[in-house]
Amino acid sequence: MISSLIRQTALSRHPRMLLALPAAAALAVTLAACGSSGNPSAHPATPKPAGTAHSHTHSAPTHAAVTTPPASPATAPAPPPPTMAPTQPANPIPQGNGGDQDADNNGGPSDGDGNI
Amino acid sequence: MTARTARRGRYALAVIAVTAAIAIAVTVVAFASPGRPAGRAFPPLRPTAAPAGWPHLALPNGTAVLSYPPSLRPLAGDTDAVSAARLGPGGAFRLYLNATPRQGSERLLGWAAFRLRLLRSDDAASAHQDAAAQGVRFRGGTGSCVIDDYFTRIGGHHYQEVACLVQGRTSASVIVAAAPAARWARARPLLLRAVAAYLVR
Repeated sequence: MISSLIRQTALSRHPRMLLALPAAAALAVTLAACGSSGNPSAHPATPKPAGTAHSHTHSAPTHAAVTTPPASPATAPAPPPPTMAPTQPANPIPQGNGGDQDADNNGGPSDGDGNI
Repeated sequence: MTARTARRGRYALAVIAVTAAIAIAVTVVAFASPGRPAGRAFPPLRPTAAPAGWPHLALPNGTAVLSYPPSLRPLAGDTDAVSAARLGPGGAFRLYLNATPRQGSERLLGWAAFRLRLLRSDDAASAHQDAAAQGVRFRGGTGSCVIDDYFTRIGGHHYQEVACLVQGRTSASVIVAAAPAARWARARPLLLRAVAAYLVR
């Protein structure tokens, strides 16, 4: 009885306290939302068309060449943006049709070799 | 009613508000976390001969046989390995199977970590483990398997795969079955069927 009277009095004196809970909740939700935006799933949800860099020169895959040049405009086309990630592994089989020239060195699925 | 009791009331309300805010924040963060649940179960793999009509590719050293669905075609690759793939328009990989003799320091113990490390150090910009299992039975042997997904350094293609190191009586080899991550749910049964049909000697 006394405590409820005290609370009622406090609330009536400081009605802003009533706003504290929803305001704090809104702030918490906002902070949580901002905190989850820098996650690794920022990668594209769907893959780019695979195989665009897949071209064997020493073998005869059953698929046609996949790199199609853009329609030639009147002026010289700008070079395409690089698609390789800037980071390079320590001791990899070279990418970009390098090394053993597997599909996985050209953006294809990785095979089961031991990187030898 | 004194000023002190009124102050206590305000403090109590403030404590309640802060506690509620923390509880809400924890709940929201828990539900909004992007990480996938760890330790997702590896699907059961029952070693079974390939269906009739599936072609076979034997490793050049004769230690394993890869069976693949008829919709796939053999693909050239390493001389000691065999591959088959189904390609879409423009040569995009839809399904991919590969078998390669063990070449390096692959071990049944810690295979999942090895595979992810190899992906990251070779052709993947990032790789993430989805599930793993050890002691998986194969036709003629036992293996360790991992399901993971990765983004290639070239093209940024997102693939998902099951990769198993399989130990036979005399030698070990690796089988990889992969598909674009966006098509993984549809491709997985067929790929796992091919993995289950993998024969080692």
